[in-house]
Amino acid sequence: MNRRLVLWVPLAAMILVARSARAQEVTIGYQGLPYKASGESSTGIQVSDGVLLHVGAGAEAGYDTNVFYSSVGAIASPMIRTSVFGDLSNATRTGAAGRISFDARAGVVYRRYQSDDSAVEPFRNAWMPTAGLALSAGGGQFGFGIADTFARLEDPPYNPSSVPITRYNNQASAEGRWAPGGGRITATLRYTNMVDIFQGAYSFSSTDGNYLMLDGSWKWLPKTAIFLNAQQGYIFYLNEAEAAVNKKESSYPLIVTAGLRGLLTEKTSATVALGYTNGFYAGNFSTGGLWGSTYLDLSAMLRPSMLSRIVAGYRHDFQNAVVASFSYNETFYASYVQQIAGRLALDLSGRYSHRNYEGQFVDPLQMATGRTDNFVQVGGTLDYFVRNWIYLGVGYSLLSNSSNIASVEYLKQQMFVRLGLTY
Amino acid sequence: MVNAKVLLTTTFVASTVFAQGQAPAPIAPPSAAVPGAPADVSVKQRPTLTPEEMVNQSREYAKNMADVLKRVQGLQDQAKREKDIIRLNCVTDKVVQVRVNMSIAEQSMASLQEAVTRADEGERTHEFTRLTIVNQKVQVLGAEAENCIGEDLSFVGATKVDIEIDPNIPQYDPTQPPAPGIDIERPGEASPLTG
Repeated sequence: MNRRLVLWVPLAAMILVARSARAQEVTIGYQGLPYKASGESSTGIQVSDGVLLHVGAGAEAGYDTNVFYSSVGAIASPMIRTSVFGDLSNATRTGAAGRISFDARAGVVYRRYQSDDSAVEPFRNAWMPTAGLALSAGGGQFGFGIADTFARLEDPPYNPSSVPITRYNNQASAEGRWAPGGGRITATLRYTNMVDIFQGAYSFSSTDGNYLMLDGSWKWLPKTAIFLNAQQGYIFYLNEAEAAVNKKESSYPLIVTAGLRGLLTEKTSATVALGYTNGFYAGNFSTGGLWGSTYLDLSAMLRPSMLSRIVAGYRHDFQNAVVASFSYNETFYASYVQQIAGRLALDLSGRYSHRNYEGQFVDPLQMATGRTDNFVQVGGTLDYFVRNWIYLGVGYSLLSNSSNIASVEYLKQQMFVRLGLTY
Repeated sequence: MVNAKVLLTTTFVASTVFAQGQAPAPIAPPSAAVPGAPADVSVKQRPTLTPEEMVNQSREYAKNMADVLKRVQGLQDQAKREKDIIRLNCVTDKVVQVRVNMSIAEQSMASLQEAVTRADEGERTHEFTRLTIVNQKVQVLGAEAENCIGEDLSFVGATKVDIEIDPNIPQYDPTQPPAPGIDIERPGEASPLTG
């Protein structure tokens, strides 16, 4: 659980396309190559007493139908992607690490477009390193944990004449947990800092986000709890001058929710969160209205068997946006994972997100017309595990956006064959 | 009536004195009779111990009882050290009973001394009989204390609880707040002029 706490950066995020269903911590979209240990207990290299090293590598070869996310005249390209990682922890092959645990990892993804197209040439190669560190202590009545994750992301721009979209993201967090009375009541206080730095055309949108969260829950069943959660944030833009030109303003997002988390039956778990939210933007435009001030998160996970899992969910919230002040989001997502005969692993997932942008727009024309995006994301992989640490597979990814702004619409598909190993 | 009392008393004393193996001058057992001769079923009319012998014997009894008390207290301390509550309860009960009997014995010894001084043979015999009985009881209590059963015999082992968890139930705690996940997406195209 503690490792889960902070080392969670979906690899799909590294390719700038995925967003996870946070409540169930299920990654939606194409499940890329491994970038950290999978939690497999029977693998790993015992470096010394109490120190286990997991390593992994992978390679994908495939085809991208739309390198620049273009609405017209899409440029396609063959592509390869490779990754390597190492993950050091004090977990053991036989079980938990104990009351104090650490986990440090580092990896890098290399992506290359093979097309000879001159438009693709400047964006042919991309190196995307990641790193993470987590320390956790306690676990009984008191617990404490700190963590940090870093990722560099690079992707071709929308406009081939522009520079790559490069993003440096670092997220640090510290939290304390208090569980008196045998753990029926649990309180968690967490501070999170997220530095998000863009290079190139989106540098005006580099931010520093600070969030303080207090969560209290009461378990009336061992794995089912009702909760009250409050989170106050403070987001400000790092490049003030550029941000001002592009009408970006600081905000103090507040989310207060109550609901239920945990198991409904042995095979079904759910999250229901309903509450109040407000962006408290510094300027004239901010979130508002009854529905705009409502936060709703519904998700359910069903495990029909030991080898399958189904997740479905819906979320209504708002999110800080690059192209405008914020967007109201209506998001539906689903995921299906099935293992077959202990050798085949099927992963299918999809997400639809309706985004209604509000506030001040970067593009004045969009300010006049407004902007509504309908984003669709589908991912699928089918892997054959030769051993429990090596697999061969195929993958498919679809990204699509339809909008009232025709120029921002696109359809992007990627197909891969892949080889991965994690030990 | 007086003869009947003497008879009963003598009979009782005779039987109790027989039981004392350490008595310096035990009454001759019936087996001493010549084989084939008719058995002597008569009852001795008075004890064969002299007053001095009675006093000495009573002191021997007192010493034996003190030894028993010391031994039982040792067993009590041992049970305390071992935190064997079952054995401690048993031994403590014996200690209490031994002390009560020793208190009775002290009174009897004092009375015996007075009876010897007064040359009161009946009283002397009576008190000596009491002492003999009390000594027997203390010896029995000492033996019972030695045999107090503790956890070593009644202890059936540490409680073992076997828990079977449905493998469908996730091992992690789903009631915890979600991790501070990073929502990293490719930013939407701001305008045809940017990015």
